[in-house]
Amino acid sequence: MIPEEEQERELEALLELSRRGRAKLERLHEVLTTPGHYGTGATPSQVVYTENKLRLLRLLDENGQARAGRPAVLFVPAPVSRYFIVDLLPGRSFAGHVAAAGFDVFVIDFGTPTAEDRFADLPYYVDGLVRRSVRMVSRITGQAAINVVGYCLGGTLSLLYAALYPETVARLVLLTTMVDGDVQGGIAWVAHRMGLEGESYDNPRLVPAAEVKSWFEMLAPGSNSVVGRVSDLWERLDDPAARLRDVRTMATWVDDVVPAPGRLLAELYRQFGPGRNTLLKGTSTVGNHVVELAAIRMPVLSVSAEKDAIAPPQGVDAIKKVVPHAEILRLPGGRGGTVAGRTAAALWQRTVEFLAAPRG
Amino acid sequence: MTIDAKAAKAPSLVERWIEDQREWQKTAMAYLDSLVKNDDFLVHLGNAMRGSLLAGKPYPAAPAASAVAAAPAAVQDGPVDDRLDRVLFALHEMQGQLTDLRFALDELGNGRKATKPARPRAKKTASAKARVAKRGRKTSDARKGAGRTRR
Repeated sequence: MIPEEEQERELEALLELSRRGRAKLERLHEVLTTPGHYGTGATPSQVVYTENKLRLLRLLDENGQARAGRPAVLFVPAPVSRYFIVDLLPGRSFAGHVAAAGFDVFVIDFGTPTAEDRFADLPYYVDGLVRRSVRMVSRITGQAAINVVGYCLGGTLSLLYAALYPETVARLVLLTTMVDGDVQGGIAWVAHRMGLEGESYDNPRLVPAAEVKSWFEMLAPGSNSVVGRVSDLWERLDDPAARLRDVRTMATWVDDVVPAPGRLLAELYRQFGPGRNTLLKGTSTVGNHVVELAAIRMPVLSVSAEKDAIAPPQGVDAIKKVVPHAEILRLPGGRGGTVAGRTAAALWQRTVEFLAAPRG
Repeated sequence: MTIDAKAAKAPSLVERWIEDQREWQKTAMAYLDSLVKNDDFLVHLGNAMRGSLLAGKPYPAAPAASAVAAAPAAVQDGPVDDRLDRVLFALHEMQGQLTDLRFALDELGNGRKATKPARPRAKKTASAKARVAKRGRKTSDARKGAGRTRR
């Protein structure tokens, strides 16, 4: 028979477990019922140009005024995820930090593609949407050459654009942008395994968000298991509610991928996929234009993340092979954290220094 | 206060268990209340049950096989008739080209050189030529078709 004292201790332990479980559920309830910056961007902005689903945003200062007269910076996020990773939360906004450092910042929001956008290809993005956004920024600011910051696939678009129109780019920052498609482990390899080479250019489909999401999940071990995710979330519920709200904003970015135009994916795979690797071979094209990376003479900063599973650092740092003057910055941590996590301050600071440096 | 008096005031284990049950009831009521009053709450709760704090919309999931089978052919993979989408996208492209034209005119008016690609056009590959020829045939067929309709 269990002694009475031991029985009491066990019951005490059960009561404590019950109390902690309830506290987690109460915290979850508080987080789920509190509004936040869910996909709307953190910094006040005004829309200065729209085209199809694209919105070009100009960040405003605390008085609601544009930072006119300052050097212009255009952020180009990836078109397969939401733009607000570069403007996540007050105090955790990359674009907001650059703006506060004295730049007139513009951000592209490519929006969410719908059925007809499955025909959008590389020329539509590079020679169309990105080029017109740059021209609009130039027109508004009166600056013939502006700074461009590209993130992930947005970096690829920016790199191609800068090679085609080098006179319009003052400085180029590329964040986790794959250049060597033969490096194993990146999104191109997952796409290869998922059969992206079968994506049709002539009869493209709008690739559903769930499918795009499944590619990213394949690259992050554990994130494709519901049990693993629930277990992670349960552990996190010990964090203070304010911290959980930050986590929620980041989760909203990570999990809210958008559908992708099949024609663009087919072209990306055909040009930059494993075995093709046209960026390193110097045979990339945008429509009928040859992309000559040697035309890139403006200062270039390329940033990779040590633990990035989607764009492995070896594939990102390979830019040195085709743009020898590019400055390479490899940061510790993973993909999202480098741009908007607790370790992002190093990237923001270096970017501001790079953009502000006098051209030598 | 004596030690005996303190012990007498501390709730017994049974009393604490009853209190804990009351607290659980309050938590459950708070969830039910939010379910009734907040339309988004069920979506957010569903996401949390998948381990995600994604806000505002359901976690991206592939449609059920039955839903795919029930969908009209046009919204399934490999669209049968995508002419409307092609026209819509062509309109988007035209909107962009008109903007380009406006920019070019403004730049000419301001005496600035209009931006042109840094490199000459690429030689078309055999597959690109085949695509262009195929498109040409399609356009020609479409024109013939349109002509027939007019007649």
